[in-house]
Amino acid sequence: MGVVCVFACPVPEGKSGQQVVDGLQKQVEMMGATKSGNFLVDCETYQSNPQNVTQTPQQCVVNILHNSEHPASCFSVTESGQILVSDLLFEDLMSKLTMAKAGRESFYSQRKGFKIESRGQRYEVGDFIIKIGSVSLASNFRGILIEVEYCPCVILNECWNMMKELLQSMVGNSAETPPPVLKHKPDTVYTPSDTILQYLDHFNNFRKAVSAPPPSR
Amino acid sequence: MDPSMVQQTFKAAPLTTEFFLQGSVMENSLETLVNRLKGLCDNADYQQESFQDHEMVFHIKNTSVPTPLVFRVRHSLVQTECWSLRYLGHAEVGDKNRPTLVRSYIDCPTSENVAQFIGELGFRMDHEFVVKGFYFHKGRMKITVSKFYKMNQPGNTTNDTIETVCPSYLVELSVVTSSGQEAVGDDMKNFAEQLKPLVTLEKTDHRKIQLAQT
Amino acid sequence: MAAPYSQFSPSPTPVNVCVEAVLESQIQEVRVVEKPDAPDGHEIQEVYVPPLSMSENLTKLAQKIDFYKDESDEKGKPTSEGEKEEEEKTGAAFQPSLWPWDSVRTKLRTSLTEMSVLLDILNVSSSKEKRYMVLDPVQQNAPDPKLAVQLMSKRRALQSAASVLQSGAERLRKSHAEINNKNDFHLELLNVRQKWRLKKTGTSILGDLSYRSVGSRYMHNGVFEVVKSSDLTAEGEFLAQRGSLDVVVPTELEGGAYIQVEVKSVPGNCITDTMDLTGAILRVPSGIGPVRSETYWQQKLEKAQNVLFCKEIFAQLAREAVQSKASIPHLVVGNQIITNVFPGIQLSIVLCHSTGKEREKKLPQYKMDHNHVLEHSLHQLLRENHFKNINFPAPHPVTALVGLTKKRRLAGPNALSRKQLMDMSDSESMLDQIIKQTKHNVLRLRTMQTIDGIAATLSDPQLTVHWSCCNSSTEASCRVIITSQGYDLRVWHSFVIIIGVDSLKVIIKEGRVFFLSFEEKELQDFIMWQVSQHQISVSQNLARLMGWQIMSTSTAMGVSDLESSGTASSLILAAPNKERILAIKSGPSSGIKVFLQQSQKDNKNRVILPDDKWQSVGADYQQVDLSKFEGRNFASKLELLLATFSHDLSSSSS
Repeated sequence: MGVVCVFACPVPEGKSGQQVVDGLQKQVEMMGATKSGNFLVDCETYQSNPQNVTQTPQQCVVNILHNSEHPASCFSVTESGQILVSDLLFEDLMSKLTMAKAGRESFYSQRKGFKIESRGQRYEVGDFIIKIGSVSLASNFRGILIEVEYCPCVILNECWNMMKELLQSMVGNSAETPPPVLKHKPDTVYTPSDTILQYLDHFNNFRKAVSAPPPSR
Repeated sequence: MDPSMVQQTFKAAPLTTEFFLQGSVMENSLETLVNRLKGLCDNADYQQESFQDHEMVFHIKNTSVPTPLVFRVRHSLVQTECWSLRYLGHAEVGDKNRPTLVRSYIDCPTSENVAQFIGELGFRMDHEFVVKGFYFHKGRMKITVSKFYKMNQPGNTTNDTIETVCPSYLVELSVVTSSGQEAVGDDMKNFAEQLKPLVTLEKTDHRKIQLAQT
Repeated sequence: MAAPYSQFSPSPTPVNVCVEAVLESQIQEVRVVEKPDAPDGHEIQEVYVPPLSMSENLTKLAQKIDFYKDESDEKGKPTSEGEKEEEEKTGAAFQPSLWPWDSVRTKLRTSLTEMSVLLDILNVSSSKEKRYMVLDPVQQNAPDPKLAVQLMSKRRALQSAASVLQSGAERLRKSHAEINNKNDFHLELLNVRQKWRLKKTGTSILGDLSYRSVGSRYMHNGVFEVVKSSDLTAEGEFLAQRGSLDVVVPTELEGGAYIQVEVKSVPGNCITDTMDLTGAILRVPSGIGPVRSETYWQQKLEKAQNVLFCKEIFAQLAREAVQSKASIPHLVVGNQIITNVFPGIQLSIVLCHSTGKEREKKLPQYKMDHNHVLEHSLHQLLRENHFKNINFPAPHPVTALVGLTKKRRLAGPNALSRKQLMDMSDSESMLDQIIKQTKHNVLRLRTMQTIDGIAATLSDPQLTVHWSCCNSSTEASCRVIITSQGYDLRVWHSFVIIIGVDSLKVIIKEGRVFFLSFEEKELQDFIMWQVSQHQISVSQNLARLMGWQIMSTSTAMGVSDLESSGTASSLILAAPNKERILAIKSGPSSGIKVFLQQSQKDNKNRVILPDDKWQSVGADYQQVDLSKFEGRNFASKLELLLATFSHDLSSSSS
């Protein structure tokens, strides 16, 4: 486990998402990267039914994410950024919360049409792992996320410049500064939770952009 | 390997049903019982395993129905990095032929911020306590002999701030497995027979206890 | 026995009282001798102390003299004699009234008093009331005039005691025999019960010799039955020698068994040609033959248990061999598993089991190449398996699932990566582990032989090898040191070989790492290459010492004939006076060659550049015949060569 940076790759006008993905894959393969399977990061969102949860008057939102890189883990993030890393069994516990039983309404319910995921090819090149994922919200294409992991290092500041070079060649100037989620911890040890927070950040952005017309395909 | 397949292998067959029997012994007969268990169980040759856990019971309440949904946070005081979030269903007594109590049981290992996390979900802590005792296993059967302590200072689990609730030990024989494996119950019944008359493990109807208290 | 002077005798006229010794020798011991014709089967003999000689008697008597008393008597004497002398001198004037026998009278009276006291004491002590006085025997007063009588009484007492003991022994023997006949079975059953798990089902007593209670999952139930051997005596051949308990083990567990592990080298790569497919060859060494029928039950059960264990090992291996998806499939034929370890090397694992009945039939004098280490490893591996089957780490908190390791429990919260999880779930099969160990075993042996072979044949330079004592069943290491005799402290070359499962890792002095395959030729070539480089470093070192200038050196010379393996290294040296140049080439296969180039002063062809400094340019190299040099090895020859050319201009050689 090294340092991971996730950036969105802009889809230029007049190009479909698939074209951009193909172009990026070709570019990565030109670097000498080898394919090493697929990857998937998915996210589901639950919200509380405020009339049922007496202790919290306002609505609570919890996002449950999975990352194929950590197949035994389930990441749950609340709105405040509190992240719980747990066994996959947490979903069963969540289902207890969403279950209506014995005349009682459920405490939480799943938000419809909010399932978002990034799925694509995983590449390895030297010490780097590159993942090119196309994001789909409720099975509609929304954009492209590029994840770059530098394995030998766990401190962002130590390797940011090197990662920047690689990232800029792929996503352009948006990779000028480290991802906003990581800004507050440039010198601490990187954890898998940080990856999840980056993805969640991007996913939320994509969801906000839903109201705008989807980019041309 | 396909990521979804890897996920599948680690998710395979959720063990969410607990078959269990309960009983209790007084403090002074503990040693006899422990010696008997040492002789019967698999880890007999080694130093017996003891445990110390801290349990926090969280409730989430609903306006429509007064009975809350209960989640339990357990934290090992021996391996302090181990936390878990646990859900216990209602114990079903079933008919006479069924040898054990059955309840649904979800025990999910989590990171250490679980108490704050479920606090944000709307849970409130109801009570907390410390459990100390011994652990044995025979095949997949788990036997715990545990004593409960109440905590005088909230959140403080050190030995000088806790005191025993009562002088007896709770003895639990349990198997957590996937639902429908009723055959396990017979094994447990046989094992419980072997512990008589040191301790009588039986189907304790929890609702009756609750009724008796009120 | 004889007191020379009576204590009471008056001093002026001593009366000699002589007491004769009893004319009977003392008894030293009493022996009971078996004698068939005697009335009660034995006779009692007395052994006498030989009578004392005169001198011995004298010393003994001398010990009895109470010197203190004598002294006081002596003291008394002079005073009384002095008195007498005074009496004689002064006459009867002073004490005329004194009766002449007065002293005798006094003495007699005191003696009388003493005698009566003595009599009283004796009366008191011999009376029935023992509480007033007890007489302790005095060691020195051994002589007893009534020795004969005492001995007789002792003898009688001993005889009666002996008869009591004998009758008691007889009774015990009788009762013991009774027990033997009736209750021994239960005693032995108790013994069996202490060592084996028994239970009573119906009328039969069944025991369990399986390894299930320690974690085995082998399907054989391993049940034996405990029977009274008297039940079997009807069949005739069983005899009382064996006790009254017998165990009946299942027929398939009878006899002796062991796992024979053999590493065979098969010429050629074709497996099926040479493979021993006959399967069930029984090669049972006499040591573990079948259990003799009179063997005690413990031994019988232990052997049966061993058979069961061997069968479990074999069954496990066979199952894994069939299931494994190796590129070259493992062969399971009858009671034999054959796998290919390296090309041309096979591992054969045979379950040898003799039930004892066909024992005499087949005993071909096979050349046994049984590998005890690997056999032991197999036993160890199965026991480890058993251990893992029932020993789970304890769950913490205690509500967690049973049977998960701590690492697995924390896999979710710690967000382990895919690879970490895969590593965790992979468990090596027993067969794979034993193949690994075999590979290492073969490889280590090969490496050892290769190095030893080279070390034995190579005389210049020398090879020494140090094997590390820290090794495991799949890794070992050694250090090889190359030295030239006589120059060992000056230059030495060393490298470390780490022997893994199927490859070697070599780390040379400067830290470069080489990976070699299992083929011994590669190691041979590598060592020869190192040897050739060693020669160059020796040369370099000597040259520096003698003031020669190193002009160029190369470990991989690009010119000249190709070496069969590795590369030749070269060294070019210039003499201190710059008039000669030596070129040394050392190749792993071509050996070491030295060439000399010297300036030719009389080079008539050089008309264009007559200046001296161009003399040596373009001159020919001539090979130096090193065999004509004195010296034990190349280093000493080269030293001589360098020394010769260092200063002397006129001399030339070759």
